[in-house]
Formats: sequence, C-alpha cells, structure tokens
Amino acid sequence: MSGSSGEPEGLEARIARIEAIVARLEGDRLELDDALALFEEGVRHAREAERVLRETEMRIDRLVTEADGSITVERIPEPPE
Amino acid sequence: MSNGDLFGPGPAKRPDRRSLVRGAGGWALESATSGSIPVSAVNALAREALESGLPPLWVHGEITGWKRYPSGHCYFTLRDKRAQLRGVMFRLEAQRLPADPREGMEVRVMGTVTLYEQKGDFQFVARELEATQDGGLWKLAFERLRAKLDAEGLLRPERKRPLPRYPTSVGIVTSPVGAALHDILRVIRLRAPWTRVLVAPARVQGDGAGLDIARAIHRLARHGEAQVVIVGRGGGAVEDLWAFNDEVVARAIAACPVPVISAVGHEVDITIADLVADWRAPTPSAAAERAVPDGTAVERELNALIDRARSAIRRSATTRRERRDRAQAALLTAATRLIDRRRDRLMRAAHRLNALSPLAALGRGFAVPLDADLRVLRTMAAFQREQRFTLRVLDGSVPCVARPDEKAS
Repeated sequence: MSGSSGEPEGLEARIARIEAIVARLEGDRLELDDALALFEEGVRHAREAERVLRETEMRIDRLVTEADGSITVERIPEPPE
Repeated sequence: MSNGDLFGPGPAKRPDRRSLVRGAGGWALESATSGSIPVSAVNALAREALESGLPPLWVHGEITGWKRYPSGHCYFTLRDKRAQLRGVMFRLEAQRLPADPREGMEVRVMGTVTLYEQKGDFQFVARELEATQDGGLWKLAFERLRAKLDAEGLLRPERKRPLPRYPTSVGIVTSPVGAALHDILRVIRLRAPWTRVLVAPARVQGDGAGLDIARAIHRLARHGEAQVVIVGRGGGAVEDLWAFNDEVVARAIAACPVPVISAVGHEVDITIADLVADWRAPTPSAAAERAVPDGTAVERELNALIDRARSAIRRSATTRRERRDRAQAALLTAATRLIDRRRDRLMRAAHRLNALSPLAALGRGFAVPLDADLRVLRTMAAFQREQRFTLRVLDGSVPCVARPDEKAS
C-alpha cells in the first residue's frame, strides 16, 4: 500500500493513493491550498487508473523454462476462445 | 503346456512320467534318468501351476507387517481370522500408492498367487491395493500430509495473505489444453481485459504432475511479475486430483511470494493445495472472478472516491467560510460591546459633570443674568441703566432690560 508522497505505480497503488487522499481530505483539517493540491493529485491518479481500465487488449504470455534453466516468455497471439 | 496334469489325479497319466517331465523344461532328460526331479523343477512347476491355475484375484483381508524397502518393493502379510497370505508389491506398482497402508487396515488387493522359486515361498504379487476403511489410502495420505503441514504451521489462518484488489498481472498454473485455462481466460477478458496473463503450463494429472505443478509455480515466482497466482484444473475423479495433494505442490504454494488461489474444481473433495492456498475457489472461473476486479465496478469506485474528495473539499471550504463569518460576528460583538462600555462611561461622566454644573441650579428655579459677553451679572453695580441682558433659565434665555425707576434699594 502506498500512503507516501512518492508517485505510485500500477492500478493497485494508484487506487490505494486515491483512497488515502480521500481519507485525508475527509479527516484532517488542511489548509485550503493543501487540500486542493491533494484533490488534484487524486483526480490525476483516477484519470491514470481509468486509462489502464480502458485497455481492452488482454495480453497472454506463456512462461517456459529452457534447458539451461532460464525462463522465456512467449506471447500467445490469439487467445484460445 | 499341461502342468495341471502333474497335480491332476487321472490314473491314465501316472505311468507316463517321462513325457510329463520332458514337457516341463530343459531338465527333463536328466531327471528322466534318475527318476526324480530337482527342487528348482518342483518350484518352477508349482509356480506355473499356481499362476495358470488361478486367475488374477481381488483378495480382501487385514494388512499386517507392511514394509517398504529401499529398493521400493513392499512386503506385507494379508490375513483373516483363519489364514494368512504373504504378499509383495513391486516398486512400479508400489510407487503409485498415495500412502503406505496402516497396520491392521482392511484392504482389497488385486494380484496373482505365485511361488517365489528361490525360497519356495507361496506369495501373492499385488498390482493394486485399496484400503476399504477410513476413506481409503488417498484419504490416509491426505490426513498424514495435512497433519505434517499443520504441525509446521503452514495451514494457520493467519498465514493467509490478502489478495490484491486491483492486480494488473495474473499468473496461471494449469494444463495448457484443459478447460480450466479457457474458463479463467474468458472470465478475465470479460471483467478485466487490461490484465496481463502469465501462463505457466503444467501437467495436472499422471505421474510427476505434482512436481510439474510445483515447478510451474516456481517459474512464475522467479519471473516475478504476477501479482496473484491461480493454481488449478477442472474437476475430476479423486485420483485425478491427486497431484494437488502432493507435498511438493503444497510447499511451492507456501513458498510463492505472491498470494495463491487454488481452483481444483471439485466441490466435495478438498485438496492439500486448497488448504495451503491463500484463497480456495470452487472452480477455475470462480478463481478468476476472485483474482481480478470487474472493470465497470472499479470505474464506479473511482468515481465514488473522486466524488467524496470533491465534497470533502467543498465541505472544508464551507466550514472555512462559516468560520470566517463567525469570527467577523464575534469581532463586531466585541467592538460593539467596547463602544457600549465607553458610552456608559461617557454617560456617567456627563451626569457627574451635569451635577456639578451651575446650570443644575436653574432646575431648582434659579436664573442667571448674563451680559452680551456672557459674563454673569452678580451685583447691582453690574447693571447699567437700560442695560440689556439675558436671563438664562432652565430651558433657554429670556431677553431683559434693566429699568432704573423700579430699581430696588
């Protein structure tokens, strides 16, 4: 969970950050400037998260272990439907 | 071959010993000359007689003295109240047993009766063995492994890790050709098509399937991108699910750095994998539903969060305005009170001033003559003939003239 001020990556971290922001806005007595800055950050994360959600091309990879023990990733282009 | 004849009573056969022994093997000529046959020949004949005389049988009884040797062969005795039968199960068959039977366990064994020629031992060569009590050997193996893992603390509820709510990559360990994979992919595509799916194919039944599954889990763990892993297969018979009761699978799940959802697809039989997994799903589809969120629901949640943020801002702005208004009102009140207090003091001072004022005397009926320069005319001498002056009374001034003829003495 990312509650820090660092830039969260990934859907999970972004939504956690938005939740933390909402909790602060609802709970703490903030200066209006700080509150507005937090709000803008939250909206930005929400937009990024929505951008992820709009991705509709499911990517399927197959993990195969080679003879030397290394792992290769093979894209499965046409998912079996 | 007609070994049966050796034991058959038929008197017609008896004199024809020579032909009988010749038919049984290479020792025939030698034995024919001495009129007797060697031990090994008897045993070989007896063995052949037993093996051909008795078809493969299912035998039931109580098992005792089960011992598994380093070679992998297992020796045991089957018994009932009146008799006992020594048996062996060779490595190839014995390694398929889910567990060694317990002492005294009621079992059914399928195999053939034979003779171990070197020792002349009558024995039963078992090909299959089933326990007929306590749910059988599968159950026994299950309970043993469960107790072992439990003792290690691997089944404790507090070990269960929470699943990520919004994973963007999901690992799947299952057969690449099974219906389970198809079902999981369909659900993910429907709910969360942005997901990256990492498939680590594994055989899920047959010899070595457990190891295959464990390796696939390790592969996903090493690759490191999956945020949650689904391990499963479609339903099957209890024997088909056995790989999911394998200790190596249990340990791979426990060691997986990200949460694992088991989806063995069997509502009734719980597997060891189910017990160790962080979440047990009844079917592969259910596992996928648990693994990824529904896209439209996530969007709703996001919107709800932003709405909450917005109203929190609005509320705090309102509070701020209210606070300012309250502060202003308080200031006004304080200022007014201050002014009021000042006014009171002024009033009191004025009263006191008034009391001291000569004008106060006017109220009591006195009047004051004043000349044009507002000097008080106190004595007779101050008045001139026909002098104009004003008489200051309580509520104003009266213009007057001093008349000499009426001047009193």
